[in-house]
Order: sequence, then C-alpha cells, then structure tokens
Amino acid sequence: MNVRSQVSMVFHLDKCIGCHTCSIACKNLWTDRRGTEYMWWNNVETKPGTGFPTKWEDQENYHGGWEVNNGKLQLRSTSKTKTIFNIYHNPSMPTMDDYYEPWTYDFQHLFNAPEGSDQPTARPISMVTGELVQIEAGPNWDDDLGGSPVYAENDPNLKGLTPDQRAQLSAVEQLVFFYFPRICNHCLNPSCVASCPSGALYKRGEDGIVLVDQNRCRGWRMCVAACPYKKMFYNWNTGKSEKCILCYPRLETGQAPACFHSCVGRIRYLGVMLYDASKIEEMASLPEEELVEAQRSLVLDPNDPEVMTAARKDGIHESVIEAAQRSPVYQFVKVWKIALPPHIEYRTMPMLFYVPPMSPVVSNVAEGTIHHVSDNLFHDIDESRVPLKFLANLFGAGHEEFVRYALHKQKAVRWYRRAVTVGDVELATAERMLREADCSPEQAEAIYRLTSLCTFDERFVIPPMHREEAIMMMEDPLEHKQGAGFGFVSGPHRGT
Amino acid sequence: MPWRTLTGRQHFYLDHLGYIQFGEHLPTFKPKPLPVEYADIRLSREVGPTLTLNYLTPHGKWHIHSTFGDNHRMTTLSRGIEPLWMNDKDATDIKINDNDWVEVHNDNGVVVTRAVVSARIPRGICIQYHSPERTLSVPTSPLRNNRRAGGHNSLTRVRLKPNLMVGGYGQFTYHLNYWGPTGGNRDTHVYVRKLPELKW
Repeated sequence: MNVRSQVSMVFHLDKCIGCHTCSIACKNLWTDRRGTEYMWWNNVETKPGTGFPTKWEDQENYHGGWEVNNGKLQLRSTSKTKTIFNIYHNPSMPTMDDYYEPWTYDFQHLFNAPEGSDQPTARPISMVTGELVQIEAGPNWDDDLGGSPVYAENDPNLKGLTPDQRAQLSAVEQLVFFYFPRICNHCLNPSCVASCPSGALYKRGEDGIVLVDQNRCRGWRMCVAACPYKKMFYNWNTGKSEKCILCYPRLETGQAPACFHSCVGRIRYLGVMLYDASKIEEMASLPEEELVEAQRSLVLDPNDPEVMTAARKDGIHESVIEAAQRSPVYQFVKVWKIALPPHIEYRTMPMLFYVPPMSPVVSNVAEGTIHHVSDNLFHDIDESRVPLKFLANLFGAGHEEFVRYALHKQKAVRWYRRAVTVGDVELATAERMLREADCSPEQAEAIYRLTSLCTFDERFVIPPMHREEAIMMMEDPLEHKQGAGFGFVSGPHRGT
Repeated sequence: MPWRTLTGRQHFYLDHLGYIQFGEHLPTFKPKPLPVEYADIRLSREVGPTLTLNYLTPHGKWHIHSTFGDNHRMTTLSRGIEPLWMNDKDATDIKINDNDWVEVHNDNGVVVTRAVVSARIPRGICIQYHSPERTLSVPTSPLRNNRRAGGHNSLTRVRLKPNLMVGGYGQFTYHLNYWGPTGGNRDTHVYVRKLPELKW
C-alpha cells in the first residue's frame, strides 16, 4: 500500500442552475490576460450539447486519454515514436475553430464615428488579431439548447440511444436539459502529465493538484492533445500551456477555490481522499465495465486503523488524515456511491465526481391510463426524461447500473424526507423505497443534510497544505526530472 | 400593516367592479390575442420567404435594463449579441440556419440580429431577451432604408391596461413608483425573414 492524499471534488448536478458564476469567478481571477482570453478553466455546458471545445468528448477525433493495447496502458494521442513524427504537427490537436476566436467590440468607434444620421454601433473585433470578425463560436455557444439541431443532436453521449429517445430530446413538450460544470479533474492517472516531453507537468505529492511548471514548459502542447477533457490550454502569448490550478494559493491559505466559493447553487464539495497509489496502473487497465468500481477501490477508508498507520508511514500529516475522515467527497463517492466520475472510460481516473441529475417527474402510464400510485416507485428513473443511457455514457462508461443506483437512492431520499416532513407519503412506502435503493434511514438523513442543509464548513473541508514539508521533498530537482508524478510512468534511471 | 390591502392580507381574488368587468378579478386562462387584434402588422409587407411569429420579450438574461448589457464576460458566454430565439422547424421553413442574420419587422419598427435555432422554443413563437441598447453589433435594415435597426422594444408599443387605471380601493391607490398605469409592451406579432445582405 502506498497511501497518498488527494484534494477531491464533487459537483451535485441536481443543484446546478447554470448561472456561470463559477466561470466568471475563475476568469476574473486567472485568465484575464493576453494569450488566455479563450481559456475557460471552469466552464458550464448545457447537456445535451457539444460543449467547449466543441465535441471534446469525441475521442475518435481528439484521441485524448488512455487505451489498453495488449494489456498495457498507452496514451491514445502520442508515444515516444509518435512524438518524433508529430513534433511539429500534431493531428489530434484542437485548433482555434474548435474553441472560438475571442472577441471584444470596437468601442472607440462609438466616440470617433463621423457625424451621420444614424447612431454608431460597435462591431465585434478579434482579441487575437484586432481585426473585425464575425462571431461564429463561443465558449457557451450551445447554451440552453441554442442551435440544438447542430449541437444537442450531435452530442457524443447520444451513442446507443433508441430512435424514440433521440426524438424525445428534440420534442418541445418532452425535451429536457441540464448543466454540466467542468474544471480540471486533477486525475489520478493524468494523461497530460504522461504526455509531456519536457517533464513540465506534475502532480503535487501532498494534495494531488496537477500543475504545469511554467519554467520547464516548452510549449509542445502534447498535453493539450492528450487531456481527454480538453482542460489543458495553450497560451499563445507566452508560448506555454496552462491549466486549472485548483486555486492552490487559496487552498494553501485555507480558502475554497474561487469557483467553489462563489457557487450560487452550492453544488460544489471539496475534501481529501486517501488512495492507494500502488494500484493505479492495475485498476486503470481493467475492462471498461469494471472501471467505476476499480476507481472506488483505490479510495481508502480513512477510519481504518491499518490505512491510518500506512498513511502516517507514507508521510501524510495527521491533520490531513483527520480532514479525510471529515471529507464530504468520501461520503458521496465511497460510502453513498451516488457521485460518479465523468467518462471513466478515458482511464485517467478523474478525481472530480458528479452526482447525476434527477429528471422531471413523469406520470406512470400503464394500459393507457395514468397511475399516480403504483408499486414501481422508480419507474421514472428507468423512463427518465434524460435517458438513462445518456447519463450512463457520461458517468458510467455506457453502463447504466451505476447511474441507476445513484438516481434510485436520490429519489428514495426525497420520498423519505417527504414522508417525514410533509406526511403525504406513507412512511412504510418510503422505507421500502430506501431498502430497494440500498439506503438506511440514517444514511438518507445524512444525504439529505449534506445535500440541502450543508454549511460552508461541511462542503469544504480543507486541510492545512503543509507546504513546508512538500518543499523538503523537492530539494533535489534532478530526482524528479522527467518523472511523471508518482504514477507508474517512470523516468529513465541515471548514473550510478 | 404588512400588506396595504383592505384586509391587510395578500389577495388572490380582487372583488372590485372594474376588475370584474375586465375579467381580471381572478388569474385565469385567456386565449392569446390574434395578430389582427394586436394590429401591429397592417402596413408591413412580406418581402421574400417570411414567417409570422408571436414575439416575446423576456427580461434580460444578465443585464438590468440598459446596464451591464455590454458586459464582456456575459456577451462572451452568450452569442455576442441578443439573438432571436426561434423554433428549429420554423427556421427550416424559410431556410434559416443557426447563427444566420435575421430581419424582424412590423409596423412599429425593425430588429436585425442573429437567429438561435432551438427545439426548446415552441413553433410559432420567437423570443428576444431585453436589449434596449443599440451600441453593440446592431447592423442596418434594408427594409427600413438602410437605417440602423432597433432594440427589442422597437417592435412593441405601449398599450395602457385599463384596469391599472382604477383607484380608490385598498392597494390600488396611485402613488409615484408604487401604483399607476404601465405599458403592457411585452409581446406582439412580427414578420421574420433572413437578412439578404449584412450592412453596417
């Protein structure tokens, strides 16, 4: 056992209202500079939709993440030999058209326009070239199903949906959409780190935050192609790549990252999880249907005395172990199993988990009549307005059982609380639902509290970051040269 | 007094002769007025393939009246303009693609903006969020002598609602910024066509 600690995250999609406050907070803080105009380290997408950059989930096009070849994990986008051939032209690199050309407006014209019979208007100009542009794309272009025939209907997650389910998603009385906020997942098996030919990317030992060393980065952009979530960005002004830093300067001073702190819907949870780094390669190589469970198995129980002893031995500070015991993320991911990793089939082991969203309640129709009371109290999960298959493609590598489990439990908790506070549902019925959803009344209370009544300190359990100890680890820079974090990709052995 | 009504409580039903006469004493379904009742497209003519749509103007997505409408973050997270949202099948009927420029007109005025084509919008309806300023990205209108096109309220006109003029009854007592007639200028009918040529 090689115990490591990771600052992990949960986004509760049932609570997201799509206000973009997180995106604005991040943009104002980090990417309001020349060369970073097009970057959105945090963005919010409408699902179904193609997102930002457009169709980022289509790995047939972008070749992000890992694949298993002859039982060995390999990057899809590059390898030692491929790097040489693609060094000046990487065919799986997104271009500016895949993102958008950032624009502003020619505001000076409003002051300088010659006198005329009409009022002047400020036309859009490119923030890259300064020339007049036509706005053809943006970071939230498919907002609220805008352009649905072009974007929503081409969402890569529609794979495997029946024709009826697809038709439902563009019928005005039946369609539904939800918001999908995204930041860097600070993966356990980061393909960006593995792809870097300069050894500039690394995963911080003490908290698992994935960072780019701006002094070492040579701008090869292999990471941009290798990240399947397209959360690596190239700064065309400095010639270096940049990414979400999980606001580590804020974390180190005990504050939640800006996107977490500003979240209006309070959908974001942050806490430490302990995991076994020695098993990452083995778990990331398993067949797709086993990956969700495999990742969960990497997460260790912080209350287990054996784990605590091993953690202490591996240099994890007592205060971090204590934070892991209070972690809301651990509850959502490992205990309740209602938070799921996005696109686990990319095999990067993302450490940002999502609670899948509930759909609007639908009536139970049997033999042509609507039944308000029925024995099957979970019918609207299987016949969900967001087809289960769609959510499964997002959060279960196409396998529905994980999403179904999470949604059943969420619905059972709602009915249980309704029985307790409103009383129009029989408590016996609610308890039966809890049993069918693998949930105890105590667990239902806990889920309810952390979902609905959670305070700031319950949502964000930030340990002291102990930079003083981390800096000690970095005393010999050569020791880490060409190392790829502490995953299984090892650097060359040198010297004696 | 918590509520300045006759009873001091919130009223859902209004026992007032004027409200009863106008059928406004209880919020109930009322059929949508026809274009002829709005009478906002009597003189305008269809030029080229045109749709007649019900035009709605919801509150701004992020701006407050004319303030913050040009916020750079929000224009970027939108489409750089306040577009016209319309149904995808309606758009196909007159060969409008997503992000095409459209000219929206009736007897009151004209709007030139880009179309957002979406299955989210029911057929027969189009939407433009409030966009009172013409300072950002508003082209000229060929149908109106190539003059600068207008904002969302260029297509609507003020119609005073008679029951808002009644008074002397509990909460219905005129006071500045408290109670008085407002213009019900939120929706009407319009012609929509593809903009033949973009001119600034």
